[in-house]
Amino acid sequence: MQTHENKLIAEIEALKDEFTETTNKLIKDVRRQDKIMARSDKRQQKEYDELMALKIEIEETQKEVVFTMGAIGEARSKETGNHVKRVAEYTYLFAKYYGLPKKECEMLKQASPMHDIGKIAIPDAILNKPGRFNQEERTIMETHAQLGYDMLKYSNRPLLKMAAIVAYEHHEKYNGTGYPNKIAGEKIHIYGRVTAIADVFDALGSTRVYKPAWDDKKIFNLFQEERNKHFDSKLVDIFFEHLDEFLHIRDTMKDIKD
Amino acid sequence: MENLKLEATKYTPGITLTTEGIISLVGKSYPENTFEFYAPMIKWVEEYFENNPAQTTIVNMEIIYFNSSSSKLFFDFFDLLEENSGEHNIEINWIYDEENESAEEAGEDFIEDFENLNIKLVVK
Repeated sequence: MQTHENKLIAEIEALKDEFTETTNKLIKDVRRQDKIMARSDKRQQKEYDELMALKIEIEETQKEVVFTMGAIGEARSKETGNHVKRVAEYTYLFAKYYGLPKKECEMLKQASPMHDIGKIAIPDAILNKPGRFNQEERTIMETHAQLGYDMLKYSNRPLLKMAAIVAYEHHEKYNGTGYPNKIAGEKIHIYGRVTAIADVFDALGSTRVYKPAWDDKKIFNLFQEERNKHFDSKLVDIFFEHLDEFLHIRDTMKDIKD
Repeated sequence: MENLKLEATKYTPGITLTTEGIISLVGKSYPENTFEFYAPMIKWVEEYFENNPAQTTIVNMEIIYFNSSSSKLFFDFFDLLEENSGEHNIEINWIYDEENESAEEAGEDFIEDFENLNIKLVVK
């Protein structure tokens, strides 16, 4: 009996040792896992922060490129003052009420100032000619849409791709009589349709080397007449529905000379 | 016993294991199936220590980037080295770039955990 008992105790003692050894190993392992997780969490945090910083950097760089190119175009064709800035604001409103997602509206606001970038390749004598163009000059002037597109089309950056569309299609008309491709209706990208109406609204209301500013009545009449001719009627409707907001932009961003 | 060499890929390091006692891992380590990927290496190292290893085994690890399961695997790998460190002479160089804080910290963790291993931090 005595021997038997001793044997059992010895076995339990052996089990206890083995158990302690295994437990120690498990504790060590859990500690390691915890350490690995803590290190990993710290690193993930750092990596995510860096990623976000890079994303912002990329977006800011694109904005800056687009803004700078717009500024170059503007400097070249003296006439415009706050024109591109107002067009940017108008396009945002049109896009917003048309129902584009907010992010896309923001992007279009940044891309639309590039609509005339092709004009940097138009000779000065034509670009800044006071008075009307003859046929030949008009033809050259109209190449600015294609030229702008050609400058931007190779980019894969979202904002520059958008700017390429805007440059290409902002002189297309809803009934297919615009340029350069005479495309019609919804074949004209919404970015093109929006920029077209925003650009014309601002141009008509501004004094230019070749024309005085139109009064509002005349502009509004033209807009109604051009429903589904020059402009997408949905955009004309948006314009009149939110007229106060468009006029507010015009009033707060006047050209100094006006 | 033959040498084992695995070319580096986008997600895995280049691995060189020679019977002359060189174990070298160079590159990044963030595969999806970390333990499967390293299984042949672990197997080789186990066999190497069983079969008459070189007088001194030199382990050079230069891991630029690694995921957490790779960390775990390196701990397991060092366990294996530690088990064999009593009978064999093993020198480990944990090599990292000065700016690579994660790699430096990992190296410090290994030194802390493996008192019986000769691990050197080598700044490039």
